[in-house]
Amino acid sequence: MAIDPTRVPRFGHGSRVPGWDDAADLTKDPSGVPDPATTPVPESLRARIEAHMAKYPDRRSAAIPALYEVQNDYGWCTPEGVEQAACVMRLTPGYLIAVATFYDMLFTHPVGTHQVWVCTNISCSLCGADELYERFREEVGDDPAFNLRSFECLGACDIAPMASIDGAYVGPIALDEVPTAVEQIRTGQEVLPDKQLSRRKSVDPKASEQ
Amino acid sequence: MPRPKQRMVTFSIDGREVQAPENIMLVDGAKYGDVEIPVFCYEPKLGAPVGACRMCLVEIEGIPKLQTACSTPVKDGMVVHTQTERVRVAQEAVVEFLLINHPLDCPVCDKGGECPLQDISFGWGGGRSRFIEPKRHFVKPLALSPLIAIDRERCILCYRCVRFSQEISEDYQLVLEERGAASYVATFDGHPYVAPFSGNITEICPVGALTSQPYRFRARPWDIEGSGSVCTLCPSQCNVNFTVRDERVLRVLGRDNHDVDDGWLCDKGRFAYQAVHVDERVTRPMVRDGGVLRAVSWERALSEAAAGLGRARGRVGAVVGGETTNEEGFLLQRIVRDALESRDIDSRVAGSPSLELQRALAAPALQATVADLEFAHAVLLLDCEPVDDAPILDLRLRKGVRRRGVRLAIASSRPSSLDANARLRTRFAPGTGEALLGALDAALGVAGGDSGRRDDVGRLAQAAGSDADSVGALAELLSMAGEDVVILYGERLVSGPRADHAAKALLNVAGRLNLTGGREGAGLLCVPAGTNGRGLAEVGVLPHAGPGLAEPALGGRDAAAIAAGAAGGELTALYLLHVDPVRDMPGRERWVAALDSATTVVAHADFLTEGIREHATVVFPAESYAEKDGTVTHPDGRLQRLRPAIAHQGETRSEWAVLAELSRRLGLDLGVLTGPTVTAQLAEAVPFYAGITHDEIGGLGVRWQAREAVTGFPGGFELGPFDLEAPPDAPATDDARFALGTFRSVWAATEVEVSPALKFLHPRQRAELSPVDAARLNVLEGERVIVGANGTSVSATVALRDAMPAGSVFLQSAIPEDSASMLDGPLVEVRKA
Amino acid sequence: MTDLLLFKNIDEPDLHTLEVYERRGGYRSLRKALGMPREDVLAELDASAIRGRGGAGFAMGKKASFLPKGAMDKYLVCNADESEPGTFKDRELMQKSPHMLIEGMIIAAYVIGATRAFIYIRGEYDFQASRLEAAVEEAREAGYLGEGILGSDHDLTLWVHRGAGAYICGEETALLDSLEGKRGNPRLKPPFPANQGLYQGPTLINNVETLATVPAIVEMGGAEYAKIGSPGSTGTKLVSVSGNVTNPGNFEIELGIPSRELIYDLAGGPPDGREVKFWFPGGSSSPVLTKDDLDLAYDFDTMAKAGSMLGSGAIIVVDDSNSVVDVALKTAKFYRHESCGKCTPCREGTNWTVKMLQRIKSGEATPMDLDIMASVQDRIIGNCLCVLGDAMAMPIGSMIAKFREEFEAYIEEARARNDALTTDEAPPEALIQGAAA
Repeated sequence: MAIDPTRVPRFGHGSRVPGWDDAADLTKDPSGVPDPATTPVPESLRARIEAHMAKYPDRRSAAIPALYEVQNDYGWCTPEGVEQAACVMRLTPGYLIAVATFYDMLFTHPVGTHQVWVCTNISCSLCGADELYERFREEVGDDPAFNLRSFECLGACDIAPMASIDGAYVGPIALDEVPTAVEQIRTGQEVLPDKQLSRRKSVDPKASEQ
Repeated sequence: MPRPKQRMVTFSIDGREVQAPENIMLVDGAKYGDVEIPVFCYEPKLGAPVGACRMCLVEIEGIPKLQTACSTPVKDGMVVHTQTERVRVAQEAVVEFLLINHPLDCPVCDKGGECPLQDISFGWGGGRSRFIEPKRHFVKPLALSPLIAIDRERCILCYRCVRFSQEISEDYQLVLEERGAASYVATFDGHPYVAPFSGNITEICPVGALTSQPYRFRARPWDIEGSGSVCTLCPSQCNVNFTVRDERVLRVLGRDNHDVDDGWLCDKGRFAYQAVHVDERVTRPMVRDGGVLRAVSWERALSEAAAGLGRARGRVGAVVGGETTNEEGFLLQRIVRDALESRDIDSRVAGSPSLELQRALAAPALQATVADLEFAHAVLLLDCEPVDDAPILDLRLRKGVRRRGVRLAIASSRPSSLDANARLRTRFAPGTGEALLGALDAALGVAGGDSGRRDDVGRLAQAAGSDADSVGALAELLSMAGEDVVILYGERLVSGPRADHAAKALLNVAGRLNLTGGREGAGLLCVPAGTNGRGLAEVGVLPHAGPGLAEPALGGRDAAAIAAGAAGGELTALYLLHVDPVRDMPGRERWVAALDSATTVVAHADFLTEGIREHATVVFPAESYAEKDGTVTHPDGRLQRLRPAIAHQGETRSEWAVLAELSRRLGLDLGVLTGPTVTAQLAEAVPFYAGITHDEIGGLGVRWQAREAVTGFPGGFELGPFDLEAPPDAPATDDARFALGTFRSVWAATEVEVSPALKFLHPRQRAELSPVDAARLNVLEGERVIVGANGTSVSATVALRDAMPAGSVFLQSAIPEDSASMLDGPLVEVRKA
Repeated sequence: MTDLLLFKNIDEPDLHTLEVYERRGGYRSLRKALGMPREDVLAELDASAIRGRGGAGFAMGKKASFLPKGAMDKYLVCNADESEPGTFKDRELMQKSPHMLIEGMIIAAYVIGATRAFIYIRGEYDFQASRLEAAVEEAREAGYLGEGILGSDHDLTLWVHRGAGAYICGEETALLDSLEGKRGNPRLKPPFPANQGLYQGPTLINNVETLATVPAIVEMGGAEYAKIGSPGSTGTKLVSVSGNVTNPGNFEIELGIPSRELIYDLAGGPPDGREVKFWFPGGSSSPVLTKDDLDLAYDFDTMAKAGSMLGSGAIIVVDDSNSVVDVALKTAKFYRHESCGKCTPCREGTNWTVKMLQRIKSGEATPMDLDIMASVQDRIIGNCLCVLGDAMAMPIGSMIAKFREEFEAYIEEARARNDALTTDEAPPEALIQGAAA
């Protein structure tokens, strides 16, 4: 039923999940809207998804929030988790997986718990982001606790080269700071406290005059 | 709601003035000026255009950017150019982009020769490619389901298939995953795309990416011929186009008829053609000899049948299956009534209302059409599950709700697949339709100001296992929605011993909703149990009605009474025309007894199902629907024509000819020499079919209500209002006893069972239970239970359904093993196996 | 130069809290607006002539006036999916002054008669989204949101909706689809969101900065606001400057100042005395300008006249130490990654362009490929469903046009490098893939 997490290959064509080369598994039943009678959903997950649904005139608007909740509970959008969300939302799991695979921040395969996304878009790469990403790769190695990936523009070109580390923006990161950063991630400390975007002052001279 | 009126506008395309209906899309408008604009993603059947493929870019004066002709409505005075250099370059660019990753494996592609991508590349492409990068390559073909193969290399991401799944069949199983150039068509977690209408995606795919597994590599387009006919596998009577190669049907495609099928087919209609050519099919006459059926010559079979029937003169009962054409039904009722001096013939599985009420229900004034389902203000779906009973109507109802804002209300015993589309769902206990109608009648009275009936609503609703509030809400919805209300009901609602009472209640409801006055766009639409149920009734295949719903000389027994009569020895011969009552009819044990007792059982059959195999004394091979010539009548009164697409298989003969020959041997020359002469005879015998010919029916059929001969419809009936007598209470369920509901799955058909491609869908018995009841019985999903009543029992797999009302269990009928027809309701016991 | 409007007090500690925001005059404009008829507030917005700060530069007052009048379900959506490479101005605003945006939204919703509003913020902005959520909660408790706001007849619910990582969702109709819970595919226009937007209802969509400016406009009056900046580009604008500059960041400027002043005086110019080679004036989607264009006034009309655009007001400076081919490849790869895949020219064109650029890099291209690449860009522009395809084709096209010699030199050099490899060496990877195919 579930995808075996150890056997999820990545493809050269950029697809993050197997798909192109996969046939349907004819031993499975078709996947309609899951019947609540046969799809148990953890109460807390159900409550959170229903709270999201209540915010919108159309329940489907809660698709992304619901998938975030699934990801939060299971580490990634597992087939079981997606079925549970689909059951609460009265949608097919197919609807939700189509949404999940569209967005970069929803994982349809297992990933590490620490999210390290290095921006390698234009501005950052002009400031050495590709080297920074390589440096992180060396440092992280094959540690399965990390989900290290290069990311398109994270909207923090002012602190280029930068990374989003477990949701917090950090930059500019010098190459020699990478070992410290990785260690701090591993030990659960705040990463490079003086490089945290949350503390950065405006550079506009008039703003800082005030 | 009223259909939108169309105004003609004049616009200019490529320098020509063209008139076209206002607001149709430019792609379609251009056709009025004989201009073709190429498209891939545009398919009007799929709803609003998406403008994704960009193939239809054209220049419109006054708009700086090129516009997609698929999404631009035609306006008065619009000036359009499709042949300018700008347009040419843009269209060529799109073709070039689309071919970048297309494998161009046309020589081994099923679509080759009938492929829009090929045609458009030829017509609008640049004829060369500047793309020298390696193309993508994937494993192919892959199974998307047992019926459909997917070739993702060929896919041009036009969205048609996923739009079908999401917006037409609304099963939302087929989706696009990933994004950008990496997008691909897939299902959730590798589940197969199995759904009642999945096959349509192979027909709308504009490339060879989605192909029919059964048709793959069976023929090239230049090997085949198309042959238009009608599918008779269910009452939807969809128009089809048989793909024929060397006298074999290799494929079935839709043949768009907006008034019937809207261009779609269900998977049974699309794939069950395989049953035409399977080895199991009976293609030679057979006679029981030494206890077993043996193939014999036509001469012997005919003479044995004539001898057996002749001996039973006056004591012959005939049961006629739904796939029988009007002509065959008409001839058989003549044989039974005139040649065999008998009176017992029936085409309905569970009896019918009196002749007067039958006429009232069939009256032209009350008749709604299929298209009305799409344009009505409100539709009441009553004791009918379209996806099983007449699948294509399921799509029509979805379309009405989605695109035209039809308010759908459902009153049913079993949760419906359309529940999510309905404004209102009212559940009633199995078999209490009459009480529900009574309650609705009273509630509509209350809504109309007759507050004196308030108490009746509660009392009758309770008798139906429902409550006053939900019936009241239903009445409010129907009375407030607007004038155009259509009631789509299943034949079973007006069947059984209290058929008259239910029919009167239904007519009262129709009267309350002003449906009896002949209003266009509103009325009743009955889904018969058999394909040609309506036609057979109208040509005289009812115990109490002759051709044209005329009073017959002598009334006869209905199907259940025929079984009883045969079992009791009053009838000694049975004629089974396209029906195996053991499988298809309720009261399985009664029928086994009846067939055992009858000395002669003549059957027309294409498969030796249990009842035929064990009991028939003479079997004539039945024609398949691809071989038949004749007419059928659609549930809304549309006469449609079956045309032979292939030659008769084996020794099969035209059944009208077999019946005529048999009649001759029984001493009655019917004067029938050709198929059309039978049509002519019945057109004479049925006053409201008067003058109908195959020519007039043509390719799209004709509704008899829309012809002048409609005046020939018999009088002598009332439309109500009737005084209703109190219905019996719903049988009381308790912890041990459940109310038994039955349904016939769309897949419960011999054609499905024998088709290699569809076999996997042939149903096995399952007991649908509510989670509450399952917990009480201590059974889980997938476990086995025994359902029993009066000493007989069937075994079934538990299927839990959250929406199932507690206290009911639903079982399938018309399946070979463990069929619900073995059980006599209304109450059954369920226990863990 | 006038006073700052958006960045006033921006680094004041705890400005993101209601208490400090109110102390600095926050929500005064809301009180003022609620005391005026809707039409009058709209007239002020119209008079301000403020153009949308998201990229298209459409006049905000005009856009708001397109919405049908009367009672129906209307929606206000704030586009906070700031994803255009080089743009990070909204991030700073939302992080440091979330209430300014919320106040602007309440006023805008009042103007159009919307009772539901959403802030669609890109999912990556986790910290900023949390700040907004907290601020929305504060505003709700203080009675600025909910029913009968400040005793008026104006009701509004406001939710922060996090996206999940897709550039295309910054396109307004894709954003609506995404907010409706679908894949973020752009819709066909017409119908425009003002008529049929979110849940098919009339919808006003504005950028964060645009909406955050509304309180200032209401406070000072539209006419007064229009005096700031140049006639076609009124008001102050946050400009994000990044890339090869020594002092990257957001600057609040009066539109119309020379670009050189922005790049050199404010952002410090390229480091180590290097020179500007080219620059994107309005995010990575804008056609590039060269060092010859540095003296152009930085405003909507001048940038358009120069063949580019002001876009979201995001300048990316590329200095002379970089190869145009590398920047082109980065740019193209970004758009390939972000193309939604709905329409053909964008989906296939971005993919093809990346492949051609990769061939240039690996030395397997000829100058003829440059012609093909330029032609492919031409065939994308104007033929797509939304502007994403154009957003790649325009900068790539401009790079080829303006740096053709460098491209050609690069091609020759890379080919020479390849030729130097002996034929015994394994063929390039692309050819292996081709053979395997």
